[in-house]
Amino acid sequence: MRAGFVFKEVGQGLRRNLSMVTSVVLVTFLSLTFVGLAGLLQLQIGQMKNYWYDRAQVAIYLCSGVSPQDICPQGETSADLKLAIEEKLNSATLASYVDKFYFENHEQAYKNFQEQFEGNSVAKYVSAKQLNETYWVKLNDATQSQIITESFNGMPGVEEVRDQRSYLDQIFSILNAASLASIGIAVLMLFSAGLLISTTIRLSAFSRRRELGIMRLVGASNFYIQLPFILEGVVAAAIGSVLAGAAVVAIVQYFVQGYLVARLPFTNFVGISEALVIAPGLVGAAILLASLASGFAIRRYLRI
Amino acid sequence: MISIANVTKQYRGSTRPALNNVSLEIAKGDFVFLVGASGSGKSSLMRLMLREDVPTSGSVHVLGENLKRISSRRVPFFRRKLGVVFQDFRLLPNKTVAQNVAFSLEVIGKSQGFIQEAVPDVLNLVGLGEKGGRLPSELSGGEQQRVALARAIVNKPAILLADEPTGNLDPATSEEIMALIERINLAGTTVVMATHDRGIVDRLQKRVVELRDGEIIRDQTGGSY
Repeated sequence: MRAGFVFKEVGQGLRRNLSMVTSVVLVTFLSLTFVGLAGLLQLQIGQMKNYWYDRAQVAIYLCSGVSPQDICPQGETSADLKLAIEEKLNSATLASYVDKFYFENHEQAYKNFQEQFEGNSVAKYVSAKQLNETYWVKLNDATQSQIITESFNGMPGVEEVRDQRSYLDQIFSILNAASLASIGIAVLMLFSAGLLISTTIRLSAFSRRRELGIMRLVGASNFYIQLPFILEGVVAAAIGSVLAGAAVVAIVQYFVQGYLVARLPFTNFVGISEALVIAPGLVGAAILLASLASGFAIRRYLRI
Repeated sequence: MISIANVTKQYRGSTRPALNNVSLEIAKGDFVFLVGASGSGKSSLMRLMLREDVPTSGSVHVLGENLKRISSRRVPFFRRKLGVVFQDFRLLPNKTVAQNVAFSLEVIGKSQGFIQEAVPDVLNLVGLGEKGGRLPSELSGGEQQRVALARAIVNKPAILLADEPTGNLDPATSEEIMALIERINLAGTTVVMATHDRGIVDRLQKRVVELRDGEIIRDQTGGSY
């Protein structure tokens, strides 16, 4: 085993095939950057889920003057009914699930609404009386909202019980679909990167078929014959993956941490530590992909 | 050394076998000419000895290896004990004479020290001591075949297989190459040489194996073409 000879052969192969090698570098760079970003998006979704699910509350909307008649035949919820709701929330059966709850009256609801829809024309047409009074319930375990929903749905004076997580779930399922789609595209791109590597190596082997013929004739072992070619593919893909890793870290550093964090202060974004987990993974994936692709490409030249 | 027993080789897509029930024994130190018209099976026989092909039936033993059974992992190690030259020299055009010979040692993992000693030695042996730095394109045909011979014997093989080594050379140059191959044979290497060159076979009076249509029709010691 002579390392010097192998490296000389690898260097020669890379130089001889420079344009193909460049395209391998670029394609692995782009596809792995995509894979890396899809991974980051998954981590981001996970983090946001943790953050928002923790803060999600269950809203018990009370009947107002404009509630539909079939649900709220008695009209605006009376003080007695409100007391009954509060008693039920404080009761022994529910107290162990409820962390805390608070009441939002028409004026507070109106104020919150105006803040939320500031500048939106809908804010002008809404009056305080149209907005439901609400009991906001924060649970010890946000996944157990079913209990509150079942207890209060259909209770007199209650228009609707709504878990905020149901809104979040919609957002997350959209984000999740986006990230799955990008992973799908990334896989397709990786597949084409694999094909390109294998074509490049086949070309490289073809341009050196005289050498290969002589190597086989004088009894070079298969390992010795294929090693320079596999290394050639691995080196090209590794360069691309290092660039992709650097791109992922740079995107997190300058776009996410430098731009998004300043614009959206209440969101917990992925940081450099997550990017530094993904980057080595990309390099590893590239090396694995390239050794498989070039090993496969060179196989037919090894038939004895 | 080489033992071929009842070998038939049928290539796919052809109706007539390239070799038909061929048996041949070659002892250590022998010098054997394989003669016969094109397509008579000379090259097929050489390919079997080199384990580039396996026989359809029958057995081929070379240097104690059963070439029908040998695992593909061991084939390269088997080939290191053989030297091969061809009509078309098969040199690497972008490497110098010395690099061409050194290449065959590098790829089987020989040390730099061994290569630095062995390459000049073998180039002196074939009479190219002064031309190690030349490219093959700067050499005559005879000189190129000497380089190919140097490459074939640098690893001291037990057997030299030569497939029409003088096929591209003029008679005078052919004589020089044959003198070299005889010297290699006298040093103990078994030589199997396929040839069309009547003059050479007649002059050397070695063992002659004649093939026709894939069958051995003559095996004569001290024969002529």
